[in-house]
This record gives sequence, C-alpha cells and structure tokens, in this order.
Amino acid sequence: MNDPFIKVEKLNFSYSEDDGSDVEVLRDLDLTIERGSLVAVLGHNGSGKSTLAKLINLILTPTSGKIFVDGLEITKPDLSEDELFENRRNVGMVFQNPDNQLVATIVEEDIAFGPENLGVTPSEIRSRVDYALETVGMTEFARHSPHQLSGGQKQRVAIAGIIAMMPKCIIFDESTAMLDPSGRREVMDTIIRLNREFGITVLHITHYMNEAAMCDRVVVINDGRIELDGKPEEVFCHVSHLERIGLDVPQTVEVLNELKKSGLPVDIAKLSADDCADEIMKLFGDHK
Amino acid sequence: MTAIELKNVTYVYSPDTPFCKTALDDVSLEIKAGVITGLMGHTGSGKSTMVQLFNGLTRPTSGTVFVGGEDIWAEPKKISRFRFKVGLVFQYPEYQLFEETVRRDIAFGPTNMGLDEAEVSRRVEEAAIFCGISPEMLEKSPFDLSGGQKRRVAIAGIMAMEPEVLVLDEPAAGLDPQGREEILGGIRSYQRQKKNTVIIVSHSMEDMARYSDEIVVMDHAKIFMQGSTAEVFKNAEALSSVGLSVPQVTELCNKLKERGLDIPDGIYTTEAAKSAILALLSGGNK
Repeated sequence: MNDPFIKVEKLNFSYSEDDGSDVEVLRDLDLTIERGSLVAVLGHNGSGKSTLAKLINLILTPTSGKIFVDGLEITKPDLSEDELFENRRNVGMVFQNPDNQLVATIVEEDIAFGPENLGVTPSEIRSRVDYALETVGMTEFARHSPHQLSGGQKQRVAIAGIIAMMPKCIIFDESTAMLDPSGRREVMDTIIRLNREFGITVLHITHYMNEAAMCDRVVVINDGRIELDGKPEEVFCHVSHLERIGLDVPQTVEVLNELKKSGLPVDIAKLSADDCADEIMKLFGDHK
Repeated sequence: MTAIELKNVTYVYSPDTPFCKTALDDVSLEIKAGVITGLMGHTGSGKSTMVQLFNGLTRPTSGTVFVGGEDIWAEPKKISRFRFKVGLVFQYPEYQLFEETVRRDIAFGPTNMGLDEAEVSRRVEEAAIFCGISPEMLEKSPFDLSGGQKRRVAIAGIMAMEPEVLVLDEPAAGLDPQGREEILGGIRSYQRQKKNTVIIVSHSMEDMARYSDEIVVMDHAKIFMQGSTAEVFKNAEALSSVGLSVPQVTELCNKLKERGLDIPDGIYTTEAAKSAILALLSGGNK
C-alpha cells in the first residue's frame, strides 16, 4: 500500500476579516490519502475539515503549500483549465443538504446534468445514468421527481449525479448530517459499496463517530492541524483527548472506558456493540 | 396536565388534486406539560406538519387542536395569540437573523409582544445566558458569528418570548458533539428553570435519550409509539422497523442480554449501563 491518490504538503489557508486581521484555518497540514482507501475526517465545527475538502477540489485555493491529486499538482501556478476540470471530474463532492444539489425536475435528468456538462455523448450519458442509478439502488425512481423522495433517497440521487461523472474519488462533506437513521444507513451502505466494490477513494467528513468507526482510517483535525490519525480502534482509544477537542467516542468505547476507570481489566478498543458485549462478558468469566 | 392536545386531527396536502397527500391521518395525541418531549420519526412521517399545527401556522383539514385546553381555531381571528403561547424554532433558524445586533435580533419577538423596554431587556439577557451568548456577543452583528453561534441567537429569540410551549425542529442538526451539547443543554436548563413545556424534533437517538423525558414516535402519518424515554427505547426492533434505531448503548445492553447477562431493561445512557454492569459484577451472579 503505497500509492497516494491525494498528497497534501505544508498546506496553509487563511482569510482576512473585515478589520484586516488574518484568520488561519489550516496550518502546515500534511496528509496522504492512499488510492482506494476509505478515510473518515473528524473535527469540531470550524476545525478546518470542510476547508480542506474544498481545497482538494480547488473550490478554494491555498495561501501556501502543495496539493497533488492523482499525480497532478493542482496548486501549481500554471495549472491549465483542462487540468482544473480534469481534477473536478476526478474528485466529486457531495454536500450536506441534498436539496441544494439537485437541479432538475426528474431524477434521471438530474443525474445526467454532470456528464452533459462534460460534453459526454448522449448514448454514453444514457448508460452512465443507468449505471449510476443502479449503483446507488435508485433505478426504480429514475422518472420520479426529486422533491417526492425522502432525504436519504435524495442524497443517493446526489451521489449518483457524482458517480455519472466517473470520479476516482468522492468527498462526502457531512452528507449524512440531515438524514434520519435509516437515511444515514442507506447513504453509509452506498459509500462503503462505492469504496469496496468500485475502488473509489472516499473521504468522509462526519460528526457521527459510529460512521467513522466503519472507515479504514480516521483523521482528526483540530485547529487547522492533524491531531490524531490511525485505524478507528486506535484513534477512539484517545477518549480524553477527543473530548478535550469537542468530539465524542462511540458509546461502546465510552462504557468500556468507564469500566476501565473503575479498575476493571478491559480493552476499550471495541467499536461495535457485538465486540463490546464480548469484551464485557469476559469480566463475567464467559463460559461459552 | 396536558400542554397540547390533538383530537382526531387529519392534515391533507393539496386535497382533490393528483398530488393529494395525507400527512396526518386521524391523529390523537396528548403532550404533557412541564417536561421535554422528543418527537421522532423517519423523514416524511409527518413530524414537521404536526409541529406547524401546534401554534396554528397551518389549520388541520379536520379535527381539533387544543393548547392549554383551548380549541385554538374556535375564533380564527384570534389565532395570533397562540403564536405567542407556542414558540416555534424551525430547522436551520440561523438563516432567519436580520437585525443589526444580536441584542436587537433577540429583542424582536418580545418587542412585538408589546412588552416594555425593561422587560424586553430582562428577557433578552436571560435568554442569552441560557443559550451561551456572552454580553460582548450581544453587541455584535449576527452576521459576524459562526454558524453554531447564529443558531443559538435564533433560539434565544424565541426563548425570549417565554412561550408556554417551546417547539424546536432539529435544533442540533449539523453541529459537532460539543455544539449539540451546548444547545441541548441550554434548552434543558431553560426548561428545568422555567418549568414550561418543550418539544424537540430530532433524528439523533443519542440526543433524544440524553435530553427527553417523554418520546413520541411517528410513522406514516400516525402515532406509532408514545411513552417515557425508557419505555420507548425498550422496543429496539419496533423502532428499527419504522426506520429509527436505539442508542448504541441500548443495542449493547441487548447484546449482553442475548449472551445471558441479567441486565435490566430500558437502559439508554452510558452512565446507566456502567452502573448496571458494575452492580452485576459486585453481585457476583451471572
């Protein structure tokens, strides 16, 4: 595993307030995302995680530092327009509110919007739309109007719109934040499937610790820097550190951590209810 | 004591058209006064439609809405006084701020109620404290604040009207864990101190577990379940059948029970789970 898809070097981003003072959002941030990985990005509101996502897609340009995406330095001064668009196509973004991302009155037309703008031929668009709908499990809704769909369904249509542009990487910027539990499950299942079956590199920005627990790797951003980085079970062991920077841990870890504080010999790195239950049963001399 | 009662309420969108949709289907419901009630249900289950009936923003197609025992549509011309009795905070209320300073924005509601200046500023300052808004922040432009701060200002604006019933639609959506706790914790201390009625719509089972006294679950335009927080979260399978879930710690307790541990029902906070496990260990019995 040494094939970086995204490489960020000494990235800085700041903006000026009305009174002329500079606000530093990202400070000398270094980060490498392996091709084909599923990475969760955690951080409190204002920690800089959405800014990072927007820089990778060149919606924003950095104050200093370099970003490489799929081998191309997107921060070089002589980046051509073709290269810029190539990057936008390589890296798709799905935002928080599905209502802000759907443009057409019919689901399949909405999904066709992206490839149409890329100048894809009509027959190719047709097959991409069908493929995208199938990938997110929304084929039967092709001719529905988006406003009649549930939140989870709308968000899956938004994802299909990105898939139809055939990106190598998708950044989900709190794409599950507005959904109910079943909508969140639908979208999370879709994200995992895109990564596992289709090899798409995924950056999943979220406030839900249970979703982060499903990813391969968790990166915690605080105050414009990376504070913790590792496998979910490693990162979530830092209970007090995470709490100090305004984040939570899954409730399984919280319970085990409390038991540990009471002097019991438990391994707190259990992220699923099943694993956690097994760990607790050991305390009872599990004779199964 | 009942704060709000719905009797056989039906609400139909676009009746007699091809887009006709029944959002509430013969719903009867009593919401207890003086507690925090959580309202949950999957997207499209009818929660937001119901909430808009509480203060007469919309009128039911049929059935009766009572606030404090009064039929709110008995005299439609006087409906506006129920808007002061039942304060509604919509989703993403931070987009509704418009005044020059935070103080003036929060004061807008109470001023419109015709209160005198001294009373208005007393209420503004009190609401600011509940919502964690510092005195310096009161003099700033609301547009210079962060998203989470703006949200708190919008909530303070409704709190300052001191409604008998405060209804909040997804007050913590999109915030990080600490931001959620600041907002929901502030709402709870407001409720505990004022002893009024609060209704919170939320999709977060963990937040509902932590902050609600009572829970109402909706599904397909009907009330699916109602009871104390512990009673509702006992029904993990039923909740998952209507697109919801239980907090992860409740799932954990169910798994422990499957493994033969005699852990009590209705645990929905990590503190309760810890105490139950420790009690079982010290009892020494499996």
